[in-house]
Amino acid sequence: MTSNALISLKNIKTHFPYKKTLTGKAVSWIKAVDGVTLNFFAGECLGLVGESGCGKSTLGRSVLRLVPVKSGSITFDGEEIQDLNDHELRRFRPRMQMVFQDPRSSLNPKMTVLQILKEALFIRQELPKNEYLESAVQLMNMVDLRPEYLFRYPHEFSGGQQQRICIARALATEPEFLVFDEATSALDVSVQAQIINLMDALQKKLQLTYLFISHDLSIMEHICHRIAVMYAGQITEIQDAKALFRSPQHPYTKALRDAVPIADPTRNYDLASLKGEVPSLLNPPEGCRFHPRCEMATELCKHEPPKMENLKSGNWVRCHHHDKMK
Amino acid sequence: MMIQQSPILSVENLNVSFEGARGIFQILEGVEFSLYPNEILALVGETGCGKSVTAKSMLNLIPQLSRRRTGRVFFNENDLLKLSNRELRQVRGRSISMIFQNPQSSINPVFTLGEQIFRLIRMYLKDEIDRLRKQQNLKEKAAVRRIAKERLAEVGLTETDRLLKSHAHEISGGMAQRYKIALALLGSPAVLIADEATSALDVTVQAHILKLLKKMSQKKGTAILFITHDLGIAAQICDRVAVMYSGRIVEVGPTLDIFQNPLHPYTRGLLQAIPKLGEDEKLVPITGMIPDLADPPTGCRFHPRCDRQMDECCRKRPSYCSVTRTHTVACYLYS
Repeated sequence: MTSNALISLKNIKTHFPYKKTLTGKAVSWIKAVDGVTLNFFAGECLGLVGESGCGKSTLGRSVLRLVPVKSGSITFDGEEIQDLNDHELRRFRPRMQMVFQDPRSSLNPKMTVLQILKEALFIRQELPKNEYLESAVQLMNMVDLRPEYLFRYPHEFSGGQQQRICIARALATEPEFLVFDEATSALDVSVQAQIINLMDALQKKLQLTYLFISHDLSIMEHICHRIAVMYAGQITEIQDAKALFRSPQHPYTKALRDAVPIADPTRNYDLASLKGEVPSLLNPPEGCRFHPRCEMATELCKHEPPKMENLKSGNWVRCHHHDKMK
Repeated sequence: MMIQQSPILSVENLNVSFEGARGIFQILEGVEFSLYPNEILALVGETGCGKSVTAKSMLNLIPQLSRRRTGRVFFNENDLLKLSNRELRQVRGRSISMIFQNPQSSINPVFTLGEQIFRLIRMYLKDEIDRLRKQQNLKEKAAVRRIAKERLAEVGLTETDRLLKSHAHEISGGMAQRYKIALALLGSPAVLIADEATSALDVTVQAHILKLLKKMSQKKGTAILFITHDLGIAAQICDRVAVMYSGRIVEVGPTLDIFQNPLHPYTRGLLQAIPKLGEDEKLVPITGMIPDLADPPTGCRFHPRCDRQMDECCRKRPSYCSVTRTHTVACYLYS
């Protein structure tokens, strides 16, 4: 892993209007991403984990500028892309791609695989007709699908194969950065392992940078280098993947880890649990956003929002009492 | 786990098939298992292996159109498959109840949560209502309300007054699943079938629901058939595990045995395919795909994907053999 950041986010905020006045002016906002600062280093796989509704998908989309970002700065390969308009962004679009959760609904059912891939190849450069086929065959080989499948329609494939097609389509524009938004969640365990191994192999081969969004911690630990934990629109902890589970620095990370059932009956699972529910993003709690559910919360947590603190290299945490974590 | 006891529910040679455009789909092929009182049995398997069909066909919840079903499901010495719909209605909810994957969509969106639970209380708990009316001198309506609030509090729901007035869309997934569990337990069933009951929930909420189910099973002695694709859940809360592959149960045994000494090549494959927290082994996926049910492989349905297949495997379906008293497997490697 090299130390130069391919993408860096500075204090980005993505708010969606919730209630509007008659004239269309928003009076209240859903603060899906509320001040996130994050770096993506070239060649790494960064995991983003959190409960549903914490804003992790919105953050993934914000990085790609698929949703309007309200404020903050996003630099891609040294260039500021936050204030570019749609036309100027086109230059960057091929360099960053996304793979979605449900492969079935993200492939056009009326197009053959070749047509789907051709569309994406066309973005990169206009090729003579016969060369499209050649590039498409190469892509199919890359994701371990047989080239003759190019003339089939998406419904003829299983879920795992469809996800491979989605990955091939994302790779068609020769991207440097890929966002996987719950890309393995809809798949069965045996197929999931195939996709994860494929992702791993492609990353090494093509020097890709991944943002892997998921709620499944055991998969994240397996493929990610670093993991960012998100809670109510903010990042609460960033740490090396292996260390995150061994010694979580934030009480929320610990609660998340303890809630995962481990496939080993000899390991004690205390079903330890977080009380309460994910806070509303419309009106997040004052002070530390996690304090109503936190066992360690004190008066300080109720009023003073904690700042992101750098503990050691690559380990950031947003908690007043992180030194009390075992 | 009480193997000495006689099973409360036993399924024998259950076959279910559907007629489709491409021929007959043999969904279940000789499913056999028993559920004992007080235990939690996990039924694990991949999508399309017939886990849900097993549960639903036991209670006749699958429309009869183009469906064929043979076999026996014994519950209290009655064969459930032979009961009429009218007789089954006495079983559903009272003796065997079920919770489904998506709690919000299994609650009627038109009525308030209160109206739905009150109706069931009036159906199932007439004696308790009468008792409360006599002892506490309550009106019928107040008695029903009192019971509802008690039962909701039992599953860990708070603010029950507000909840009784809400509709399905106004509550979160975790609350909805708790509410469904409260409903399912109203008739004090002997068997509870949880069909992917926590799959749609977040891990933190899932932990609560699992804890609740385990507590309820211990407190009320309810046997639970827990259908899941998550081996982690099976490992952590279940007493025994049954592994299903393409319409057949391939291995049954105590949880510890299944995870520490898996016998069937499919069970081994599944265990190697899941990432484990704190371990850094490469994942080994099972090669190939789930078979096409319109044209399933002959003999053992797993043989095309199996790394230890023998000549016999493609000829005849392997029968069950007991490796230990409690651990049974359907594979030629052990017969």
